[in-house]
Amino acid sequence: MGQNLITEEKVIDAVKDAVAETLSIDKGTINADSSLIQALDAESLDFLDINYRIEQTFGIKMARHFILEHIEEMYGEGSAIDEDGKLTEKAVELLKIRLGEEAPEIKVGTDMDDIPAQLTVQSIANGVRDILNSLPEKCTNCGAQQWTSEDGAKVKCGNCGEPAAYTNGDDLAVEWLKKLNAERKIF
Amino acid sequence: MESAIFKDRAVLVTGSSRGIGAAVARKFARAGANVALNYRKEGGSSEKKALELRDEIEKMGRRCVALKADISKKAEVKELVAGAVEALGGLDILILNAARSPFKPIERLLERELKQLVETNYMGNIFCIQEALPALTESKGQIIFISSLGSKFYNPSYPLGSMKAAMEAVVRDCAESLRPKGIRVNGVCGGIVRTDALKTLRQFWEELDQMPEEVFIEPDEIADAVLFLCSPAASGILGQSIVLDKGMSLSLFRSPGKK
Repeated sequence: MGQNLITEEKVIDAVKDAVAETLSIDKGTINADSSLIQALDAESLDFLDINYRIEQTFGIKMARHFILEHIEEMYGEGSAIDEDGKLTEKAVELLKIRLGEEAPEIKVGTDMDDIPAQLTVQSIANGVRDILNSLPEKCTNCGAQQWTSEDGAKVKCGNCGEPAAYTNGDDLAVEWLKKLNAERKIF
Repeated sequence: MESAIFKDRAVLVTGSSRGIGAAVARKFARAGANVALNYRKEGGSSEKKALELRDEIEKMGRRCVALKADISKKAEVKELVAGAVEALGGLDILILNAARSPFKPIERLLERELKQLVETNYMGNIFCIQEALPALTESKGQIIFISSLGSKFYNPSYPLGSMKAAMEAVVRDCAESLRPKGIRVNGVCGGIVRTDALKTLRQFWEELDQMPEEVFIEPDEIADAVLFLCSPAASGILGQSIVLDKGMSLSLFRSPGKK
């Protein structure tokens, strides 16, 4: 990812660092499949803090809004969450594709407030990886193809020194939704 | 403001597991008051922090209780106030601090988010006032609302500001309507306060990180103003939401990072 300048291990490690620092817990107690809420007692404010720390590490912008919010904004209120705050069939179909086997508890009628409990260190790392994979081939400033990284985290242009311009997490989520819906016509 | 001028006073602070609420609760306890803390959700870090704060306040020799309640639910507010009155033997001061809001522009709010915004930050605070009224009438007590500059100025992706503005109007309204009962109502309107919520705000307001240190307010400074407003020294202040922003709102232009 990040055109092979950043390793999967580095991403997982950085997410663990962010979680440990935010929640003031020992990094050694955190596993890739640790649920942030169930196992580590995180709350919604903590997620944003964790995101912020990851952003500082890699020079990226994580999604500010969860995928369910994007669905409702794009395909209308009620398309993902019913009036009682429960997941619709279409939302479940989509979340299964999005989160895969990392979200075994998600089913029709699951309360939307219980979804963040499904998020793990790995699912956050996946989000980071998607953003890092959006690194353009060439520097947007000078057009050179010389990405470098001194710390294995922040990428910059080896020619002009411009920091890498990644797509932000929200835009990636919207792009992904549009593409998936064009293929599968879920909404 | 840390002499025991609030000795044996009973104070309820909504949303007090962290940030401004926790700072206010701690400061009241140091000034001699017994405190009822409040958090919204069971089993999360808020509950953990509220229980830690309860232990800390008890070690000061004060009575303290941590009560779970979502202020947007009237029945839970009823239990919260009853629990506080029972544990502390009455209620002298109600601090309306709890708040909950999505961070996105108003035009993008979904109906559900809009409802939650109003139910917690407007209706929830009014439920608290209504339920606390009998006890506050008996004690001729006080209500302080914790507002923010979003009530007066634009902040990016901060719909909570409109609720803060509504509540500042409620402060003015109740100051007058509760005057015959001997209850004093005021507000404290904070600028950029260094709390956990600031970490959220800076994700939507990138210039925040470039703001000069001198304009940041500490939660303890908000707490000092709250204690002042509740003290006899502030008996002449009624229906005001006092701005604490280190002068940030005085200037139309502030060059980022420069003095």
